[in-house]
Amino acid sequence: MMETHKNDIGSTFGMWLFLLSEILLFGGLFILYSVYRYNHSQIFHLAADALNRPVGALNTLILLTSSLTMALSIFFLKNRRPERSLFFLFLTIFLGLFFLFNKYFEWASKVHHGVYPNAPGLLERERGEVLFYGLYYSMTGLHGFHVLVGIGLLSVMFVFILRGKIDHERILPLKNTGLYWHLVDIIWIFLFPLFYLIT
Amino acid sequence: MKIYILVWLSLVILTGIAVSAAGMDWGGWSLGVALGIAFLKSGLILNYFMHLKDERGLRLFRWMVPGILAILILFIGLTFFDVAFR
Repeated sequence: MMETHKNDIGSTFGMWLFLLSEILLFGGLFILYSVYRYNHSQIFHLAADALNRPVGALNTLILLTSSLTMALSIFFLKNRRPERSLFFLFLTIFLGLFFLFNKYFEWASKVHHGVYPNAPGLLERERGEVLFYGLYYSMTGLHGFHVLVGIGLLSVMFVFILRGKIDHERILPLKNTGLYWHLVDIIWIFLFPLFYLIT
Repeated sequence: MKIYILVWLSLVILTGIAVSAAGMDWGGWSLGVALGIAFLKSGLILNYFMHLKDERGLRLFRWMVPGILAILILFIGLTFFDVAFR
């Protein structure tokens, strides 16, 4: 029989190192954002007013709730209730898809109005507005990609629990996926006020 | 399990506060209020959902997140030291 090696502290530590590198990846974009906002504060304010604030707030609530269902899924697997864990994991995946669904309609309506990177109508507007929407698309886009990857990982975990490959004893893959999912939530917590709530 | 629901409720309430605060004119304070609430919310998620406060495996865990934030703040500070005095 093949010997299985388990190192929970090492795995958790490795996951945290990866998450910190993610913080730095988004951090660089946040620095870019803050400099451009400093240089074009008035135009950033006007451009942010044109974003759909209710949809942004709804997506914030969706991601916060998905963090709760994620934590509950881990909680129930730890307490030997895999069927409940699967239920909350399914809810988490559903909420993630719901977030992307809203994001799609938000982007689609902006594109419909001729506001997308390198759009001829947009390039004629003021420089600050071009920068704002450039940052809007790249930062929410990179975040959306992370949500997509998260949904993929959660689906793999779903199958693993279903097949009994992870359970209350080997719970670490689910825990690490949860850490990733919560970090994606935290990044949105900063993106939301910086893009939708500029006053 | 109860604590998770309480944390979630606080997160929802803080979001409500952030959205309604954005509707008022706080002048220069509004960015500070928005960022303060965002840091508070991340603190709740890091400590309760991500269990950072219970992480006993390595002492390093406690210092990693504040450490990375310190590096980011340092970089933001240095960048603005450049941008503001051009």
